[in-house]
Amino acid sequence: MNEKPPTPRRGRRLTTAQSSVLAALLVTVGAIDASQPPGVDPPADNRACLRCHAMATLAYRDGTTGGLVELFIDPGRWAGSVHGELACIKCHAPDFRYYPHPQSATSEQLDCVGCHRQDQERTDYPFQTIAEQYAESIHATSEKPRARGFGCHSCHDPHGFRVSKVGRPLAEIVRDDNRVCLSCHAEVRDPLRDLHQWLPNRDAHWAAVRCIECHTPIAGGDEAQRVSHRILPAKESNLTCVNCHSGNQRLLSRLYAYRSKEDLARDGLLAKAVFNEAYVVGMSRSVLIDRLSLILIGLTALGLIAHGFGRYRAYQRSRGN
Amino acid sequence: MKASLHQFLTPETRRVRRLAAITVIALTVVTLAYKFIYPPVFDAYVGKTNALLTYASSQTLTEPQFEALAQDLSERARYAKAAAIVGADQAPLARQVKMEMLMNTASLIRETEPTHIGYFRDAGIRRYEGPHTCLGCHPSMKVRHPDGRVTTVDTLDNLVNTVHFKFQSDAAGFSTYGYDGRQVNASGSRKIPVGKIDRACGIPGSFTWTGWAALVASRPAAAQGAVELRSEGCGQCHIGGNYQPATEKMMPVGDVPDDAKDGIDCLICHSTEYDMNQRHVIRDAHGQRWNQDRSMRAALAVGPIRNDHCLRCHQHNMGGDAYLHNQAVQALGTENKRITHRGAKRGNPFSPQDDVHAAAGIQCTDCHVPEGHRIPRGRLGVDLVANDLPGQEVSCQTCHTRAPHNNSQYKALLNGHVARLACETCHIKSLQENSVVLRDWVHPTWNVEEGIYEPTDIYRSGAVGKGFTFLWFNGNGTFLANALGNNPSGTTDYDPLMQQMVRITDSEVIAAVRAAALKLKATYPDIEVESYVKAATDPLSQLSPAMLERRRQMIDTNLRAPMTVGSSRIYPFKLFNAMMYEDMGNQGPFGAMILPFDYPTYYETGDPKAAVVQAVRDPIIQRMYQTPFKLYMMDEFMSYFGVSGGWQTKYPLVGGKLVNVEPHWMRQMGTLMINHGIQGKGRECRDCHARDGIMDFKGLGYTPERVAELMDLEQLEAAQPPSALGESRPAAAPSVSRAEP
Repeated sequence: MNEKPPTPRRGRRLTTAQSSVLAALLVTVGAIDASQPPGVDPPADNRACLRCHAMATLAYRDGTTGGLVELFIDPGRWAGSVHGELACIKCHAPDFRYYPHPQSATSEQLDCVGCHRQDQERTDYPFQTIAEQYAESIHATSEKPRARGFGCHSCHDPHGFRVSKVGRPLAEIVRDDNRVCLSCHAEVRDPLRDLHQWLPNRDAHWAAVRCIECHTPIAGGDEAQRVSHRILPAKESNLTCVNCHSGNQRLLSRLYAYRSKEDLARDGLLAKAVFNEAYVVGMSRSVLIDRLSLILIGLTALGLIAHGFGRYRAYQRSRGN
Repeated sequence: MKASLHQFLTPETRRVRRLAAITVIALTVVTLAYKFIYPPVFDAYVGKTNALLTYASSQTLTEPQFEALAQDLSERARYAKAAAIVGADQAPLARQVKMEMLMNTASLIRETEPTHIGYFRDAGIRRYEGPHTCLGCHPSMKVRHPDGRVTTVDTLDNLVNTVHFKFQSDAAGFSTYGYDGRQVNASGSRKIPVGKIDRACGIPGSFTWTGWAALVASRPAAAQGAVELRSEGCGQCHIGGNYQPATEKMMPVGDVPDDAKDGIDCLICHSTEYDMNQRHVIRDAHGQRWNQDRSMRAALAVGPIRNDHCLRCHQHNMGGDAYLHNQAVQALGTENKRITHRGAKRGNPFSPQDDVHAAAGIQCTDCHVPEGHRIPRGRLGVDLVANDLPGQEVSCQTCHTRAPHNNSQYKALLNGHVARLACETCHIKSLQENSVVLRDWVHPTWNVEEGIYEPTDIYRSGAVGKGFTFLWFNGNGTFLANALGNNPSGTTDYDPLMQQMVRITDSEVIAAVRAAALKLKATYPDIEVESYVKAATDPLSQLSPAMLERRRQMIDTNLRAPMTVGSSRIYPFKLFNAMMYEDMGNQGPFGAMILPFDYPTYYETGDPKAAVVQAVRDPIIQRMYQTPFKLYMMDEFMSYFGVSGGWQTKYPLVGGKLVNVEPHWMRQMGTLMINHGIQGKGRECRDCHARDGIMDFKGLGYTPERVAELMDLEQLEAAQPPSALGESRPAAAPSVSRAEP
């Protein structure tokens, strides 16, 4: 217990060019299906590493926690990721060339800001701000044993980062993002400790809303950065319905904002205005009911016009007589 | 009043009533015919017998006898428990006194005394009469399903529809593919009953129809010429006590008669005190059948199923009969002793001495979790054995997870292998030495000690590369037990049905086969040693060029898909081949219909042809060669067998002589799954990853570059950290040194 936590070690700094290229990429977290773009062969000098690390079941149980430590790098998925063209030792300690890997290598802790400096031109990827927010996150401040060793890569898989695929179904994004949280926070689903008991329509929320929507501060500070990396402790998390269920929707400013842009591009302004999927109190989110309501409105309008027209004709006739 | 009512009915109503009456009568006639006429007619057709079954061991006890027996059983159980608690490291008298005190405490009695003593005492049961007695209290039972559902089923009905009773299944769920490329009994196909009931096989040399219960007149050396009757046959283990297997269950209608159900041996599985000495063949007015232990001792000792209950039968095909720790073989019979089989089928025993799980006290049912009387054998299956619960997984991973290694410094690397290797591949390092690889039924050898002719095992081995080999396996198998699978690269370089399963190349094995052939030649001068060795070690040499060409084409067209589907891993497989007589009228590129042997004829005369003649005379084999049987199942059976043109009904016995029947080795070796006999310590890296390693990477379909890499551990060894020389080198300051300025 009294051993010193390993000091985070920085990887090589990126050149400005590299940095801006990378920063231009919209990255998503965790589980992305590996069947996406066809993989490029990893650089040849990674072959020695992949001889072992391409084994799909390369993993071991941590001696103290018993938790599974995965060491598998899916060559195809990695090759398709934004880091896919890097040599392993670009980020990892050269001592990894030894096997068994000496502790000098295995105790390294990499994080994103070690390589990614703040890029002034790309305000949507403010790595420095992220690092500051993260430093205040419950993941960083907690003293619970399970939070030990927490870092960027506890949630974000550096071997799988990829440009987020435009047009992915929202439900899929929500599911994949939440899977990252649930991979540690299994207790959320424990029916005996129903931590979200207070939440009406809990399952519907879980299917449509990401954990981070409520468990991060409302104002991200920077508009461009949609979600703060400052994960709030349960007590400070957002329990107020109106933050989302109102005209000034918090959801719209984040995940759904991205979605809205997509929809706008695809469906046009009118369809977007009519069939907005965003949840506002009073809207049904049911396509069928939305359509029926539209028809009803149309019919009412038609009825009114017909009635007016009838009245007008009757008036004309009486005038004629 | 009656007349007025009659007047009230119109002619229309009267006609309806007449029609209804006729229908009721017709239905009654059909039901009665089905109930009373169909069963004897069916039995007569297939030449089987059913009669009331009695057992000498089923005796009524008097009250004092009952109490004495209860006392004995209770004391034995309490003694065993007390002995396990009281330490042995004290004066014998002190230990005895303590044990006696403990044995008489109410809590220990409650905990250990067989529960059925009390039940039988209260219910006044003083005689055990088979299922009748059990069902008195257990007419129905609760079945727990894996999804948590609990259903209540009729106990007897549940049991008689299990593979343990039927030995076959006509349901979907076989992992077996015919050589025609079709999955056996897949949904949409015409379902036929398949399983041990109709699968003649080279290990037993017969099947349950023709080899159920036989009495063999042996002339052991010890008896100095006197004849000793010995018991033999498949029925020795199977739970039905009848004169034959449950043939009735193979038909879409009908059921085994009540007499046969009364013959079910509940206690062989459920009793902790079953006496295997009662398991021998008896002969009565109706024929031959297997005796069973229906004593009150066995009945009162009913308890939870433990390993030794299952192993009464199953050690036979795991450890084998000659296995040192096979308990059942210590009790061969009070009379007509059972014949023991020396060549083991698999030689991977499940006993504390040879299996790490058995040593840990793990019970068969911990992995093979029963649902009622249905017991799963797992989703993977290479042989044509019916499976009661084909969807239910039985695997190492269920308990061990996918990161099973925690102890080695190479644990992560070892776990990495799980993606490609089955646990068994490293953790079964050898089988019992007497595992039979090549069995010649055509040239029997006289066994002086037993006084019978036995098939000659020309090669036995439990060694890696000899008795068993490694193959890709995705859970599928062929109709003749060949493991299917493919290198994950998906290429066609892995070609087991033309390579590993049809060629013995190990020079030591070939030399041993040659020596065995030379020895046989002393008895059978007709044997040409070199051609004998050729056929045994290269069974494809028995095929004509046209047949070989057809085989090649069938493998490519029909079997590539079931080989490549799913994900394959490398598993160890016990190899086996046998030379038997075959009906050449029903031959295909993968083999011809094997003909069974009649056990007494074979064992007594050593004349295998006469034994085939005798077995083929069995009424059900005659029926097999007739049109109804052909249409009902044999056409489909042969299609799976890789024989085109349907089943040829030309009966191979004409005027007492075998026609178009030839002795042959099966065209490929069977590959039997081995999953028990697990050793805690697995193989070393070097066992496989070396130039002379046990794994034939090339044969397994790897590219030459990958083969070179796989055989080369030096790359890893060269990467040994210098810390092996001195831990104190300045290694832990990389953060600064790695950041570019």
